[in-house]
Amino acid sequence: MLLCTTINGEYMEVEVNPDLRLVDFLRDQLGLTGTKIGCRRGECGACTVIFNGKAVTSCLIPVMRAHGAVIETIEGLMGENEKLHPLQEEFINRGAIQCGFCTPGMIMSAKALLDENPDPSVDEVREALGGNICRCTGYKKIQEAVLGAAERIRKGE
Amino acid sequence: MKYILAKSVEEALIGLYQAGGTGAIMGGGTDLTIDLESGKHKADTLVDVTGVPELKEIRLEGDTLVIGAAATLTEITHNPLVKKHCPSLTLGTGCVGSLQIRNSATLAGNVMSAQPAADGAMALAPYDPEFVICSLGGERRCKMGEMYAGFARSAIDPSKEMVKEIRIPILKENEAGSYIRLELRKSLSLPMLNVAAVARVVDGKVEWARITMGPVGVGPVHAVDAEAYLVGKELTAEVMTEAGKLAMNNAKPRSNPLRGSKEYREATLPILVRRALESIADQLGIKY
Ligand code: FES
Ligand code: FES
Repeated sequence: MLLCTTINGEYMEVEVNPDLRLVDFLRDQLGLTGTKIGCRRGECGACTVIFNGKAVTSCLIPVMRAHGAVIETIEGLMGENEKLHPLQEEFINRGAIQCGFCTPGMIMSAKALLDENPDPSVDEVREALGGNICRCTGYKKIQEAVLGAAERIRKGE
Repeated sequence: MKYILAKSVEEALIGLYQAGGTGAIMGGGTDLTIDLESGKHKADTLVDVTGVPELKEIRLEGDTLVIGAAATLTEITHNPLVKKHCPSLTLGTGCVGSLQIRNSATLAGNVMSAQPAADGAMALAPYDPEFVICSLGGERRCKMGEMYAGFARSAIDPSKEMVKEIRIPILKENEAGSYIRLELRKSLSLPMLNVAAVARVVDGKVEWARITMGPVGVGPVHAVDAEAYLVGKELTAEVMTEAGKLAMNNAKPRSNPLRGSKEYREATLPILVRRALESIADQLGIKY
């Protein structure tokens, strides 16, 4: 089937197998392997992307639902001249990354939150990241990184 | 597989009809996608209804709150009409799965999946909602109890018909609702037990109370003995404790390796029922 969609700002028309899930299309057909697969059951958050402004687990989205949608993946975060997004920088600076497998999903969940609410409370951060599981960091530094990035974004960075 | 992105209810029903029993309606798809991959559910045609405008609507019709079958749990949880008229519903819809799941999944789907302790379905049940089910042959209405055929089995066949909307009688003066969840953790986990209630109390006396609980049977189970006992009573501490005990007459909790033993659930369920009633008393300004 013909899929017309916008991914990381780029409009595309591509033939896809409608049996695919969005995560497989992103990774295997577009080579956007920053989006990870941990469980394929919606239980780990590693595959989180932003779909029409909302964080979703792309392992549970049939690819054709992306028709007409606007999707952001971790690959779309970097600014001009390879400048990292404040969320990416804060994750690095504050040691919120260990093995890094959960990180793209964490950052996309956090970005969806900050896009809607640049001044979240700790509870709001925790709610937004509740669907992202990390087996390494213990979450505290992730929470701090998101709050730190929020502050920088509010200052206009 | 054929994938239809329906733009209207009619288009969805035609697509389903043409699939001749091998199709399936796809709402949020957070359960169906998994079941299709595991082979638990089979379909040659998927009819995606998430882009049907009328199914996304949440509106008030007189004393009835109408929630379209494709409204996501996030949309329901943050909708001002739902918060105002059925506030305890948002306590359930707001804790299904994770935020990512709630951004896709629907309340209709939460009922269709028929898990006995589904947060959204449980919080909805004591409101005594009606489901509008449609097919090319026409529309019919189902009560909550008629939606369940067994454990994790819906009475609605998604290859033949679809839920169009959920119609919920809104809370009136002297009425309040509550939702209580016993949980190991907040996200990505079904509750160990959950209880929801809605009651009407006039001049200090309970006119009617509806209490549902799970997972203690098929779908949300009514605590009918407790409901009958409460009629005409004042919501005192003793009465609410007794109602909690009576709720056990209708509950058959089982042991679950992840979410609590039968014994633990039996010991805690009466307390949750009491707390659900206490919450209603608090909201109605009743001292106990
Ligand atoms: S891979 Fe999608 S939630 Fe785990
Ligand atoms: S850093 Fe390893 S899973 Fe989160």
